Amino acid sequence: MATAADDEARLLRLEEQAEHGGGGAWEYLCLARRLRARRPEPVLRLGLALLNDSSARSRLGSEQWTLYEQVAVAAMDCQRVDVAKDCIGVLSKQFPGSMRVGRLEALLFEAKGEWADAERAYALILENNPFDQIVHKRKIAIAKAQGDMALAVEYLNKYLELYKQAAFCYEELILAQPTVPLYHLAYAEVLYTMGGLENLQTARKYYASTIQLTGGKNTRALFGVCLCSAAINQLTKGRNKEEESSELQNLAAEALLKEYKQRAPSKEALVTSLLKNMKLS
Amino acid sequence: MGAECKYEVSQAAYVKLALHALKHPAAAVNGLLVGRLLDGADAAAVVSVADAVPLCHHPHHLPLLPTLELALTLVEDHFAAQGLAVVGYYHANARSGDAELPLVAKRVGDHIFRSFPRAAVLLLDNKKLEEAVKGKSREPVVQLYTRDSSKSWRQAGSDGSSQLTLKEPSTNMVLADHVTTKKWQQVVDFDDHFDDISKDWLNPGLLA
Repeated sequence: MATAADDEARLLRLEEQAEHGGGGAWEYLCLARRLRARRPEPVLRLGLALLNDSSARSRLGSEQWTLYEQVAVAAMDCQRVDVAKDCIGVLSKQFPGSMRVGRLEALLFEAKGEWADAERAYALILENNPFDQIVHKRKIAIAKAQGDMALAVEYLNKYLELYKQAAFCYEELILAQPTVPLYHLAYAEVLYTMGGLENLQTARKYYASTIQLTGGKNTRALFGVCLCSAAINQLTKGRNKEEESSELQNLAAEALLKEYKQRAPSKEALVTSLLKNMKLS
Repeated sequence: MGAECKYEVSQAAYVKLALHALKHPAAAVNGLLVGRLLDGADAAAVVSVADAVPLCHHPHHLPLLPTLELALTLVEDHFAAQGLAVVGYYHANARSGDAELPLVAKRVGDHIFRSFPRAAVLLLDNKKLEEAVKGKSREPVVQLYTRDSSKSWRQAGSDGSSQLTLKEPSTNMVLADHVTTKKWQQVVDFDDHFDDISKDWLNPGLLA
């Protein structure tokens, strides 16, 4: 199975090949899309060449629309507003009223510096889809570009709400699939980041359940338990030190040290010191 | 007051952070900078950035605390023995044209500032990196940000008296060299380490 590094290496290889007339442009464009790589110049060059070749384009069938979208975004990145406009025009004819196309149109307003129009377009999208993270970020960017810091902060607070929403989403995922350790771990990390006693206590529970689900093998979860215990002790100043949680912290620390001794002995001393400090705090 | 503080980035630090970004071209990456304040009696203070320690590349780990907190402690502990401290943070955005300094960079910068008041935040310029890797540029591929009196992170000016210098003038060429030998494949960050602790975030022998 290809790793992320393999994918990225392949992408660069394909790019070189296609750019030097060795073919494989469509394969490259698909991979770039899948990896969400941002390589605007080659994508624009190769994508546009494909779109302008009417026989090649018709061979793509329904996949050509994704290509129009990909080229539009690359064009905006390269400040080729004219090309972007043309691509978006084609898409809006094909998909009238589409929100996806609407987002492209808003992005185009932004690329042209037409802030008011961009804002209006994004507001419309958010009405229908209030959790669109990308749109939230664009709104903050626009406010900042116009120097409206108060507005930027307001939008930022709305964006930070996303952490809470992320937590909510993980809760849903865990309810739906309670035995997937990744969800428990991700949830714990978000809660830890949000902070506060209650969140830390819950985070620790989910780090613990991750440990259970992974048979004690997950390094992040083991560290997580220690981090939470240390943070909780700091907040409660050692009051109500539960026996159970001390026990958990000790077990996690022990498991970590055993792993490091076996598999990363050069780091054993550092980790020992780290864990000791966490227990003292 | 005295003259502005200057920042001198060693080849090792610069190449490591660039290789980290090149290893994950589709993702945002970040890391810590370690170094020391050089004692300059009359001249402006100089922060020497000696090394870089890559942190994350998993998109949902970047803005989260656990990896960052663990890494900060481990890195500080390890480098203290060499008289080095955490003096800054570097960040590369996922999107090539994105020159915005993200919130996480400011937050981490603020945190480091508390123990090292001349903390630097370096934002990688992906376009400049592409040029440098092709051997077309000697310019640093990073933009320096420092904290001003109003507690915001400001871009260091691009006037003639550059606040940021590369310690060795041939750094970009060395970087281009490493790229041709695909050194970026071997970079290990904390995300890699926590996935498999036998991988060393110190990257010994990476640039040997």
